[in-house]
Amino acid sequence: MEGRIEQHPILQFKRKKKIKFYFEDREIEAFEGETVAAALHAAGIRVLRHTPNLGRPAGLFCAIGKCSSCLMEIDGIPNVRSCMTKVKEGMRVRRQKGKGDVL
Amino acid sequence: MNLYQAVIIGGGPAGMMGAITLGNHGVKTIILDENESIGGQLVKQTHKFFGDHAHYASTRGFEIAQKLDEEISKNKNIEVENNATVIGIYPNNTVVYTKDGQEHKIQAKKILIATGAMEKQLPFINSDLPGVYGAGAVQTLMNEYGIMPGKRFLIIGSGNIGLILAYQLIQAGVEVRAIVEALGKVGGYDVHANKVKRLGVPILLNHTIVKAIGDESVQGAIIAKIDDKFQTIPGTEREMVVDTIAISVGLTPLTELAEQAGCKVEFIPELGGYVPIRDERMRTTNPDVFIAGDLSSIEEATTAMIEGKIAALEMARDINGSDTKEEIEEELRTLALFRSGPKSVKIRSGLEKMGIKISIPTKPIINEKKEDVIGKLRAVLECDEEIPCNSCEASCPFGAIHIGENLNSTPVLDAEKCTGCGTCVNACPGLAIFMMKENEEESTVTLGIPYELLPLPEKGQKMWGLSKEGNYVCDVTVERVVKYPNKTNIVYAKFPIEFKDTVRHFAFPKKESPIVCRCEEVSLEQIEKVIDSGVTDFEEIKRLTRVTMGPCGGKNCKLVVLGILSRKTGVPISKLSHGTSRPPVKPVEFSVFKKGGDDK
Repeated sequence: MEGRIEQHPILQFKRKKKIKFYFEDREIEAFEGETVAAALHAAGIRVLRHTPNLGRPAGLFCAIGKCSSCLMEIDGIPNVRSCMTKVKEGMRVRRQKGKGDVL
Repeated sequence: MNLYQAVIIGGGPAGMMGAITLGNHGVKTIILDENESIGGQLVKQTHKFFGDHAHYASTRGFEIAQKLDEEISKNKNIEVENNATVIGIYPNNTVVYTKDGQEHKIQAKKILIATGAMEKQLPFINSDLPGVYGAGAVQTLMNEYGIMPGKRFLIIGSGNIGLILAYQLIQAGVEVRAIVEALGKVGGYDVHANKVKRLGVPILLNHTIVKAIGDESVQGAIIAKIDDKFQTIPGTEREMVVDTIAISVGLTPLTELAEQAGCKVEFIPELGGYVPIRDERMRTTNPDVFIAGDLSSIEEATTAMIEGKIAALEMARDINGSDTKEEIEEELRTLALFRSGPKSVKIRSGLEKMGIKISIPTKPIINEKKEDVIGKLRAVLECDEEIPCNSCEASCPFGAIHIGENLNSTPVLDAEKCTGCGTCVNACPGLAIFMMKENEEESTVTLGIPYELLPLPEKGQKMWGLSKEGNYVCDVTVERVVKYPNKTNIVYAKFPIEFKDTVRHFAFPKKESPIVCRCEEVSLEQIEKVIDSGVTDFEEIKRLTRVTMGPCGGKNCKLVVLGILSRKTGVPISKLSHGTSRPPVKPVEFSVFKKGGDDK
């Protein structure tokens, strides 16, 4: 569990509403406004997908939507950048296997 | 299709400043930004910025973003389109973006591309493993979302970003095991390096990472020394136990959209890699397209904002004939001043390759020293590197600090004029100013240090005085703590005078304490603390600390705890009550009792 920062000498984190979403059918708590990748990281989940060819684990790299390392299957849609997608109540998130189907 | 006078792609410092400038000159402008709110990478910068007081120096990055955002929301000429991902630029200045799963097209007379940069990759074995993160990703997790990015870090690269990241990690309560640097010297500013060195973070020069260790995510790293050809020296490899590795080996401009807009790019490593060719006023080889910020050259937010302004002033001239000539001249002079110091050599030579010459201002860099006044509470300026910043001079209410017209000069204190107010200590973005007063009669010195960590020390507390390298020097006693609204507080502590030039940080004593009760994970220190608070009854110690109350029932620790109690109280163990032993004496699952038993 990586957890959240509760006290900080400079910043104040005003967390919004607590919500629940699902990672591989496992219930995860998050706060509104967090990205999927951030909420997963807080829950100690760093492996966001396995690469299509070599099957290597992959996670975040840039966290600002540039590197496409964090692609996941979100609500059934593959290749979604989990670092740019805000988590929503009841969202279903899966580690992506393969490259994702067109339809 | 919607037609705008100006489209800005990217709402970071360059784009925001560009928008404000265009808006102020009556140009209808839209900012397209991929995030939920604008601010770019400023939103995760918790440190105070260097620079000119007129350009947000001494203000923290996220606060600069807030200020610019407020200005933008007040300006009726500016429209902000958030969550808008630009996916391409097509002929006739057509910008295509997606938002909420839908495609949108807009056209503009002029386009300002301010897409910024991204972290450079550093391929090593397992560099693709989860837990090897770009430094910016760590900042995003930690400073934007308030998420612990890891527990133990190794940082690769000692440029300003790596150094700032190390400091920010420690502020968030994360351990930084080391910063490794391939070159023989620290890449970033000395003041940033000093900040982390005195917190005890080693900067390992001539070192590199060889491999990340781990199956599904990082569990360690192998680092090694390298020779002058950057080859690892066999036999120098060593393992570090870390769970996260942050890469900060530089940024590279995001030129894709500029290229699609027909801007010619060239590879100029001094500026960060491929960069769009542009003139002094930020116009690219496509006369309708301008660039600013990290896309034009990897620098920092201050120069990005000035570039955004220059681009916008030129665009406004094109669009509605605004007379911005003088303003542009003024901004160009400011920019030249920022780039005139020794730390900007690379940028200057990169720009020169593009045909842009930065004239070094005629105002000389002055680094004089004035007589110190021993025994008086006064500022000690430990800023010996020529970086463009004048926060201290601007902050001093008594005119006691002098930098002069060239803000690359190092500050000089007039100790006679200094009243010991501490305002400069609070303002200095490099945390490079201290307060000092020698108390000759008692052979002690009082040192005031900038303090941005939690918990905040309290008056009377004993702490450790640490050296500039973060090593223990002597014990210190906290005299007073002055809190400031900008969160750079000043902690004053007293210690023997012989260490006045050695001690530069105060830290809480680190005491390792053995675990006594292994079931409930209670340390010796915790038990002693309870006894010291006046509790001398074994049963009470049990209830307060849970010693002996775990699955082993006290078989492991009961005697040890009684020994501690005996030592502390002077009562022999034989005279102490040692509690009651209740069944079950071994762990038994509840189902055993639920089933009921038979009496044999």
